[in-house]
Amino acid sequence: MIYIFTALYCEAHIFIRHFNLIKNQQGTWYQQFYNETTGILLTVTGVGEIAAAAVVGSVCSIYKPTQNDFLLNIGICAHSAQNDGIFLCNKLVEQATGRTFYPDMLYCHEFAEGTIVTGMRPYHTSHDDVRMTAGAPVGTLYDMEAAAVYQTGSHFFGPHQMIFLKIVSDRGIIEDVSKERTMLLMEKYKDSIFDFLRQTSTIMKNTGCHNISPKQEEGTLIETFCADLHCSKAMYDSMKQHIRYLALAKVDYVSQIRELYEKKLLPCMDKREGKRRFEEFKRRLF
Amino acid sequence: MKNLKEDYFSPFFSHIYVEKAVLEHARTRRILAEFPSATVIEIDHYKDVFCRSRQSIRFQRRAQNLILAAKQGTLLYEGAPVCQSFGNRYFYYVSCAMNCIYDCAYCYLKGMYPSANIVVFVNLEDIFAQVRQVLEQHPLYLCVSYDTDLPALERIIGYVREWCDFAANHENLKIEIRTKCASKTFVRNTRPVSAVIYAFTLSPQAVIDAFEHHTPSLTQRLSCAAELIRAGCPVRLCFDPMIYVPDWQQHYEAMLEEVFRAIPMEKIVDVSVGTFRISQDYLKNMRRQEPESLVIWFPYQKEGGYCHYPDALMEEMECFLSGRLEEKISREKIFRWNV
Repeated sequence: MIYIFTALYCEAHIFIRHFNLIKNQQGTWYQQFYNETTGILLTVTGVGEIAAAAVVGSVCSIYKPTQNDFLLNIGICAHSAQNDGIFLCNKLVEQATGRTFYPDMLYCHEFAEGTIVTGMRPYHTSHDDVRMTAGAPVGTLYDMEAAAVYQTGSHFFGPHQMIFLKIVSDRGIIEDVSKERTMLLMEKYKDSIFDFLRQTSTIMKNTGCHNISPKQEEGTLIETFCADLHCSKAMYDSMKQHIRYLALAKVDYVSQIRELYEKKLLPCMDKREGKRRFEEFKRRLF
Repeated sequence: MKNLKEDYFSPFFSHIYVEKAVLEHARTRRILAEFPSATVIEIDHYKDVFCRSRQSIRFQRRAQNLILAAKQGTLLYEGAPVCQSFGNRYFYYVSCAMNCIYDCAYCYLKGMYPSANIVVFVNLEDIFAQVRQVLEQHPLYLCVSYDTDLPALERIIGYVREWCDFAANHENLKIEIRTKCASKTFVRNTRPVSAVIYAFTLSPQAVIDAFEHHTPSLTQRLSCAAELIRAGCPVRLCFDPMIYVPDWQQHYEAMLEEVFRAIPMEKIVDVSVGTFRISQDYLKNMRRQEPESLVIWFPYQKEGGYCHYPDALMEEMECFLSGRLEEKISREKIFRWNV
């Protein structure tokens, strides 16, 4: 699943429309939209670090992301030197604490990259907010959620599963930012965003983990096999490990177990015989 | 979109993280010059990137990035019990780089480190200073390519040459450089130093194909080893770790035949023989990272915090190889880790 988090509805609009997302009517205290077919869950967090952290924590606790999922935090931001552009963030700085976070930069993309500072207040040059800009290099991005999303997200996602895409809306003049302008900016970059989303989704599917549990029928056979060997807990664990290895090695262990039954070597009379039989079974493998 | 069709992952070392403290270090500048199109990201401490939680070695392996940092604290470590000391009393190793460009499925680095990114410590001079201090007390057998493969990184960092220069000027110091590298350029540029032993890890081609991803073939490694012997460099052959595969005996037999054809065995320093073994904790980490890896999920025997092949199999594999090697080389030159 792709977990998308935006601070505002106007940042979410392009996804809702493009992916035909349906509103979740189950009474969550945040706005949420989903499409089960495309595997997208979009949540509007509200503005600010606390709102973002609370919502990301809540959503991830409910849906429990897996290793094949990823998180996208997308929205507008300010830039210290330019009025326009889309950036993939390679470094997130929490302004209040100075702590830094680094999402993995593993995937090909066509965006510029940059550092983003996340503050409690909007970046506003007319306030001459020296605290926010202190020490930051020229060309820094400013927002109010990214570092918080990362910190909460890191309890559920690895750094290779979190992506922070930010679209510049202003140079620290918040009067320039409006709902309409935000929607226009999102619209402007939608193709590259959707391309990247598709690409990342493919990577997760191809590179992520696959289910290697035995099929139900095989699982039942293994359980019966262990019961008929009178396996102790330690023997059972050891057997599971052997079976896992054999499955990975593509050895036809099922036939070997069935052969033991056909030769009337199973079920065993007692634990002692079971242990002997288990040792024989292991010896046959290597 | 870049490489959309061919590969969704970024090229290796597309991003280089550099500690602020070493931004102006000469080695940093030299390494960065090798990657003019890389994105450089300033960091406070290498652990901010290297030690993040929930990293995926599997993903990072597809697009390894580089971290340049300064090594602090302990710079010299005593050799671990599972490592072969080759009869040297003062056996130490240093970690001037962490992680490797090769992707061996069984490599303990995948269990030891939380990340697949490569860290290069640029303050080699501090490591040299500590080695000098120890040399004042006693001789030293030092492995400098344990947690990485220095020759494979030589084009980028040039540390083999620096270690050779250092060893040439210090008595009582013997250095081992463990590698699977077979770079012709590396061989061409290597000058023989009697105190620097090049230790080639050799495996049957079937094992290389199955588990030692992106490494040179057996033939290439042997050719490189033979070339170094011809140039007058001390060379060690490491049949360690031996990896179990079905029909292992045939594969190891075929490998030995190729070794004996390519290498004048009377000229090698010594050989090591050892089946795969690993710390239980490292194996646990590796199993979490690689749920589908055959070599990692072998049902190993646990003993004293380490995992190894079942005793009978381990003994059979090591005895087989040692026995065959004894036909070509004296027994004193064969080191087995568990004897």
